[in-house]
Amino acid sequence: WVPVVGLEIHAQISSNSKLFSGSQVQFAAPPNSLVSFFDASLPGTLPVLNRRCVEAAVMTGLALSCSINKKSLFDRKHYFYADLPAGYQITQQRVPIAVNGSLSYSLCTDNKMSQMVTKTVRIKQIQLEQDSGKSLHDDTRSQTLVDLNRAGVGLMEVVMEPDMCCGEEAATAVRGLQLILQTLGSSQAVMAEGQLRVDANVSVHHPGDPYGVRTEVKNINSIRFLAKAIDYEIQRQIEELKNGGTILNETRAFDSKLGCTVPMRDKEGKQDYRFMPEPNLPPLILYDAKSLPANTNHQQVVNIDWIRERLPDLPSVKRAKLVEQYGILPEHSFTLL
Amino acid sequence: QVSAALKEGQVTPTELCQRCLSLIKSTKFLNAYVTVAEEAALKQAEESEKRYRRGQPLGALDGIPVAVKDNFNTAGIETTCASNMLKGFISPYNATVVQKLLDQGAVLLGKTNLDEFAMGSGSTDGVFGPVRNPWSYSRQYKEKSIPKSRSEDKESHWVITGGSSGGSAAAVSSFTCFAALGSDTGGSTRNPAAHCGVVGLKPTYGLISRHGLIPLVNSMDVPGILTRCVDDAAVVLGSLAGHDPKDSTTVQDNFKPFELPSVTDVSKLSIGIPKEYHAPGLSSEILSVWAKAADLFKNAGAKVIEVSLPHTRYSIVCYHVLCSAEVASNMARFDGLQYGHRSDVNESTESMYAATRREGFNDVVRGRILSGNYFLLKQNYENYFIKAQKVRRLIANDFVKVFRSGVDILLTPTTLSDAVPYVEFIKEDNRTRSTEDDILTQAANMAGLPAINVPTALSERGLPVGLQFIGRSFQEKQLLTVAKWFEKQVKFPMIQLEEVRKHDHGVFQHQKSASL
Repeated sequence: WVPVVGLEIHAQISSNSKLFSGSQVQFAAPPNSLVSFFDASLPGTLPVLNRRCVEAAVMTGLALSCSINKKSLFDRKHYFYADLPAGYQITQQRVPIAVNGSLSYSLCTDNKMSQMVTKTVRIKQIQLEQDSGKSLHDDTRSQTLVDLNRAGVGLMEVVMEPDMCCGEEAATAVRGLQLILQTLGSSQAVMAEGQLRVDANVSVHHPGDPYGVRTEVKNINSIRFLAKAIDYEIQRQIEELKNGGTILNETRAFDSKLGCTVPMRDKEGKQDYRFMPEPNLPPLILYDAKSLPANTNHQQVVNIDWIRERLPDLPSVKRAKLVEQYGILPEHSFTLL
Repeated sequence: QVSAALKEGQVTPTELCQRCLSLIKSTKFLNAYVTVAEEAALKQAEESEKRYRRGQPLGALDGIPVAVKDNFNTAGIETTCASNMLKGFISPYNATVVQKLLDQGAVLLGKTNLDEFAMGSGSTDGVFGPVRNPWSYSRQYKEKSIPKSRSEDKESHWVITGGSSGGSAAAVSSFTCFAALGSDTGGSTRNPAAHCGVVGLKPTYGLISRHGLIPLVNSMDVPGILTRCVDDAAVVLGSLAGHDPKDSTTVQDNFKPFELPSVTDVSKLSIGIPKEYHAPGLSSEILSVWAKAADLFKNAGAKVIEVSLPHTRYSIVCYHVLCSAEVASNMARFDGLQYGHRSDVNESTESMYAATRREGFNDVVRGRILSGNYFLLKQNYENYFIKAQKVRRLIANDFVKVFRSGVDILLTPTTLSDAVPYVEFIKEDNRTRSTEDDILTQAANMAGLPAINVPTALSERGLPVGLQFIGRSFQEKQLLTVAKWFEKQVKFPMIQLEEVRKHDHGVFQHQKSASL
């Protein structure tokens, strides 16, 4: 059996204000205290793009060796839910800001960390989108409590192609991404604070056969649980197929108490999101040193080359420097960084 | 002129304000206003008066009573969009254009009536009832109308204002304010302007901020300006236009307010007459007014040529697809959760949403939401939405080609006929009416071009007929210059309304000459 694992990672952008409005971004503030008119979807309000969020996405794209699209577009993704005040999310479905990158990570082949193997996962794309608010279901009083502090916070959705084969690979790749994001400062990427959320796409097939039906696993709250959830799901699928059953293309939630995945009662997967271009935002145009028109106000444009020049050393570079400068073993550089 | 009168102290802002407020009361039967903000207006008038006494008015608009269509957010004053969904909604912020008017010292009298959420061409489909065209009560109309029997009085013969900015048009036409804001998505400012005999300007898309204008079609909406003469429209435009950082679709270029020349030589102009605007259903009366106007330009030495905008006939269908798709999207936010009407049904979030939306929206809105969602479905998107976008590009290109060929301004009718009686109008449903009535105005919205209705003549029934000028993008100065010249030539008669005469006063004479 060949397991196939892909990941959709949502990283909250580390910025002072939200993606399209000026309200503050802050964890654990009193409910509904960081909500602008736009975040509450008051009629007549319009989105205004936050420059810092664009820079964060460009930085991340460059760090992941992506091509940065000089022109990207914004779209509306429609669905009704209490934590989505406008009835749609602004995202980048047609043309995202960055595409075709890769992330390398190292696995130990044995427990003593004496042999390291480098693996690569392709990054399909990075897109900018809005986070939703939070809803808490209070079943005892049959009510839902909605907190919109998080509504509209900027997210980078990083899509990793199904190049991984098990929980450990996925966990390592995510840790690698986390470290990069934290080094760049584009996201604090702390899963416990909801700044990094990971959904896994899992399927299995026999070697030589086409890919099997995949399931999406959500509700994973830590990297440790990510590995557990994926491994459980792989096993579940293998058992199911061995017993002559079939895999449904469904969304499953990871139950950390039971250590297993369960089907989600939410039918989110089968919805038609009725994507439509966001008419209030012109195409996002980015420049580089070559294409930058003369006499432009530095404050008004985002220059990819300018950002590239100011990228800090990425973890992989730092590790290589440690190995070279101090002659330590590569596996020890991973312990340090 | 009233601006000058204010400056010279011939009349005070509070007097002006009070007169307008009392005129609003005596013309209540027009149903032009949804909310009258009497106290706030008088306070603003007092502030303005203080400034005039100090000799420091803020500008031409200081102390001038204005009205705003009820789909613009006004802080502290109810904003309803003539819908149950927003009844009682008091916005916490002012739309940018409202704020600009207030910053110039204008006195906001109140919010005007419209079709619900600006969907309609009659101003008949709002929850506060239809708006009546002031010309229904004019001597000119009454003289020409033949009552069918003695029992039939003016009550059943009144004519519509057109829409959807009917309240604003009626307010300006009946002298209750000097200027009003409307919105224009498919003709909603120009159509009622034509039927009510006032100037209705649709500016270039991207010139004036939409922040705070509750959207119908984000890619076509513009705030519209309604006034009694072209010069006034230029003054209001000057105070509203320009980049707004809160609206990413406004252009960054600096806007320079302009004054219109009083004398213009039109012999250097090339006026285009698009043959496709000789639309089916165009009344022979309007056709003849249009032809006379063309002759007017010819005789003044201008070059008047027939041009073609071949994709005009696709514009209505294209508009309906794009409009309903955007409506479906824009209305998704109305769920009763954060603001507006919320249903008592609360077994589940979904049932609350469904009940709220069923109770809050009228059939017209719901119809457009349903069709819009249909067009946006994955399996239909390519065939409807994308196709319509492509056709939209073709329509816009028609104009580009014509303007590139040397034509400066296009001259077309604004409406197919003069205003029809309400009892006739409601015989057809909203969708049919919109389809018919929008045909002459809506291509300008597709292409984002500026266009203006200028009242031209009275029909045989004694009702206003207007003509439309369409100009190049961001060339409002040229457009308004030509419009002003035309206005001067045709000398459109003033409405003779008994209610206005009763409020006669030396200064109101100034008012009647129409201008600021």
